[in-house]
Amino acid sequence: MKNSFDEKILDEAKDWIKANQKVVLATVIQTWGSSPRQVGSRMIVNEKGEFSGSVSGGCVESAVVSECLSLIKDNKPCKKIEFKVSNESAWEVGLACGGEIAVYIEQIH
Amino acid sequence: MKIKTLEEILKKKSSKTEFAILTNLENGDSEIYLPGTSPKGEFSKYAVEIENFFKSKKNGVIENSEIFVETYIKPIKVIIVGAVHIAQYLVDFAKSLNFEISIIDPRGYFASEQRFPDIKVINKWPKEAFEEIDTNSSTALIALTHDPKIDDPALQYALKNKFYYIGALGSKKTHENRCQRLAEAGFTNDEINSIHGPIGIKLGGKSASEIALSIIAQLVSETYKK
Repeated sequence: MKNSFDEKILDEAKDWIKANQKVVLATVIQTWGSSPRQVGSRMIVNEKGEFSGSVSGGCVESAVVSECLSLIKDNKPCKKIEFKVSNESAWEVGLACGGEIAVYIEQIH
Repeated sequence: MKIKTLEEILKKKSSKTEFAILTNLENGDSEIYLPGTSPKGEFSKYAVEIENFFKSKKNGVIENSEIFVETYIKPIKVIIVGAVHIAQYLVDFAKSLNFEISIIDPRGYFASEQRFPDIKVINKWPKEAFEEIDTNSSTALIALTHDPKIDDPALQYALKNKFYYIGALGSKKTHENRCQRLAEAGFTNDEINSIHGPIGIKLGGKSASEIALSIIAQLVSETYKK
């Protein structure tokens, strides 16, 4: 039921670029088990670490932001990141819902 | 992704053209693909798989490859008969879902553009109105006037053209009478029983917005069963 035509995240990416910001696009490309956002869900991150949109229910966004910042810093075009079930006893980023997702991040250049 | 590709995506999105974004996850190359054409360059050997993503209305990575396909599929057409108060709430709900609404109502004072900005409102009787809309088995009908003069011809059209969802507002008694009229018009029991009447899932609400919510919930649920 995703209405991709009316989703505004890519329009926002264009606005950010127009404002001379560096933009990294993060897209959910695969999911296994229960995951909060479906394949194709997106968020954008700029070089200041500001973001819009989502790739999970708030579980992995902060990790995605830091990965996006490294991508800009190292000037790399793209990277695939996988997130697995979180271990509750450790302070690590993961999906508390028990699912796994793969997120693809790419610079818009 | 190149800025040029992003701009092309935005152009296609605003003109509501169906397309897909193909991305090579290894090197970051991306292409716009139009259904029915041949994918370019490195994507050319995945033509069949890409078309399958369109058919199943899904996004994903092609098996045993590093190619990601994101499809942009046109929204589902929903025709509402009766430009009534409930229809105004249905329009609001449909905005955040993948539905494109058209409204039919021959009563000019209901079907005004002011009441339904940005929505196709056809101020004609159903028979003539349907000549202006392309419909198929992926179309849904929501009849809201509970006036047989207006609803019945629309319901008959939807049954004949095998719409995947047909719902009609009205009490149990109103619906019984409606079923009887349709039987007299030659429709089979199976056809008549396929109509959701009284329309909507049981929420218990009575206000226009609550009825709209119960209708849209049923429509979403039936869309996933399709």
